[in-house]
Amino acid sequence: MRRHHLASAVVLILMLGASSPAHAAKPDDNPATQAQGKVIFDRTCLWCHGVTGTGDGPAGRFLGRYAAPRPRNFTTGSFKFRSTPSGDLPTDQDLFRTVTKGIPGYMPGFASLTETERWQVITYVKSFSPAFLVETPVSLPLTGTATPLGPESLDRGRALYERFECHTCHGVEGWGDGPVAQAGDLRDVSGLQIQATDLTRPSSFKNGATLQDLIRTLLTGLDGTPMPSYASRLTGTDHDGWDLAHYIRSLSAESAP
Amino acid sequence: MLRRIFILTVGTGILILIALSCLVLPNKAQAIPAFARKYDVNCTACHMAPPVLNTFGQRFLENGYQLPGTEDGGFTGKKKLGDVTLDDVGKYLAFRLVGNAVRNWSFQQQNPAGADAGVVENKTEFTFPENFVLFAGGTVAKNVGFMVELGHDVVAGETDVERGFVSFNNLGAHNLAHVRIGKFDPSAFYSVVTIRQQLNDIGESTSSGCTPYASCSLNRVGLGPGAFATKFYGLYDRSGSAISPFASTLYNSGGEMGIDVHGRPFGDSFLYQVGVLNGANENFGDTNKGKDVYAMLRYDYAKSDYFAVNFSGFIYQGNSNVQVQSHQDVNWNRYGISTRATYKMVDLYAAYSIDRINKVPTGVIGNFDATATGETIGMDTYVTNSTLLSLRYDNIDAGGMMDQRTSASFIGAKPNSTSAPTLPSLPAMTLTCGKPMEARPPRGIFETPFPPASISCSKEAPYASPSPC
Repeated sequence: MRRHHLASAVVLILMLGASSPAHAAKPDDNPATQAQGKVIFDRTCLWCHGVTGTGDGPAGRFLGRYAAPRPRNFTTGSFKFRSTPSGDLPTDQDLFRTVTKGIPGYMPGFASLTETERWQVITYVKSFSPAFLVETPVSLPLTGTATPLGPESLDRGRALYERFECHTCHGVEGWGDGPVAQAGDLRDVSGLQIQATDLTRPSSFKNGATLQDLIRTLLTGLDGTPMPSYASRLTGTDHDGWDLAHYIRSLSAESAP
Repeated sequence: MLRRIFILTVGTGILILIALSCLVLPNKAQAIPAFARKYDVNCTACHMAPPVLNTFGQRFLENGYQLPGTEDGGFTGKKKLGDVTLDDVGKYLAFRLVGNAVRNWSFQQQNPAGADAGVVENKTEFTFPENFVLFAGGTVAKNVGFMVELGHDVVAGETDVERGFVSFNNLGAHNLAHVRIGKFDPSAFYSVVTIRQQLNDIGESTSSGCTPYASCSLNRVGLGPGAFATKFYGLYDRSGSAISPFASTLYNSGGEMGIDVHGRPFGDSFLYQVGVLNGANENFGDTNKGKDVYAMLRYDYAKSDYFAVNFSGFIYQGNSNVQVQSHQDVNWNRYGISTRATYKMVDLYAAYSIDRINKVPTGVIGNFDATATGETIGMDTYVTNSTLLSLRYDNIDAGGMMDQRTSASFIGAKPNSTSAPTLPSLPAMTLTCGKPMEARPPRGIFETPFPPASISCSKEAPYASPSPC
């Protein structure tokens, strides 16, 4: 049994690694790389993220207007899309994933930049926050057994959905119409109104919609938003994360990514 | 080969049917939803308020429909045409429906000729939107972009290619030169953005009983095309009827056949643009004996929090060859400057331009003002998440025959309900405050097909503008 768990953990880690699209040689974080990243940033990113990286570019305010999201403020060191514990910095791979895939609805993916260019711009983005100089972010270990999709797993996932009170924001049917969401009480860290994600539209999931993406989101939460981390409740469980991810995916008619 | 043609034909046909399903949500936006689908972003990524581009959208346009700073045409979100699938076709096509489901008149409408004279009526009726526009745009390969805008006017039974061009981008080096060939809007990169500009060509206005181009018909010499002429010239149409500067019919700038080159070879701050066009006024005697040429230089500053500003200046040498009167060429110059600044969600813009006819037809010398000027100052801002407030001042001195020329000023405000990002589109209602004006009669595919209507602040706005699809 222990060997089975170990194998599952290895598979999970490998899958997590496979979901990260970066394979090219990563240039060193040095002033030259940073300078090259700045050139790319100025051409491509500053329109939304601003010249000082505070998310105040000239086009940024129009993204959500008076509602969230606004472009990320890189100077605070707070990032939504991570594989690291809530409150921690993202790993370079996390940043690479966001730059490459973008954020559905708000940020296009920049896979058209070469991998080297993406690494360079990430080096420059990290320079906006001094926290990157002193902290070494580490991904949360994903444990648990990859359970197959089936009635038992979905039943367990539904029970977790209720126990974790996901429905208060996302609604019983997952339409993002829970009572807290409907009351308009959901705000992001800057005080802007934020909508609960419609779980029936996985294509709009900002942090990805694969089972691994969902588990990562559940574990890490989305910093700066009302979406909390469930790491303490999922860590150490055998298959809770998978069951809940299966159930969330079952709320949609969209085919799995 | 035949199989590929068959697949493309069938695919396009199906996509047209899918596009027609958009009829349930009439659409006036000039945004190209295909781009939003391709990059999986909301319209707000590129638009301040469709169709007005924000700085990111401007750079996307400059880069030949590729993300700023990239050359993604061949491999982001799309496949090459040779490998096209239905899913891919959907990322190329977009559809817009122009018109209203209901229209109202609060004016006195004369009965048709032959009917009892003097009978007036107020009227409300259901209508079906009359104009359909099918867009296909994007990139077919790295640094090769295209745009086709096909319009069909149901009432007039006319179909026309409003725009259609191919662009070859980043020639030589990144942002060194982008070349557009075909029928395009030459003023797309001007500070007072194209979609705010529409020169309703000030052709030779006709008076009743006169033969076109006869001396008695000449009111204003044609100054088309609309390139760089901010739409204060649109205050009057060719028949002298006033047009609201907010009228949706003005939101399309006419395309011109030609070749255009633009780029930023001297860093990011300066944009150059030069081009050669056939020029307009073919309908009014332009022989195209001489081509029109133009040049534009723009300075951009965007390196401050929430703030961006740009300044543009252009010169346009027109060869209209209008052949009015004595069939002389009527060459003319247009000069102008403009600026645009955005701060947070406030968008300010202003423009001034001068048209000067170099060869006044001999028949009207001494009785003709060869200079026309105009200026515009405006502001758009979101006052709520879904309410765009527009303020505008326009002034025009149209020039032309001394005894017939018309100058005018306009000041107006318009709250416009726009759909909030990520939410389903909501119908937009506009209310224009200004002096009474009339919609122009239908002439082309993008003309407002509505009969004349008066608008005032105290009455229900007759245009219930549909929302983006």
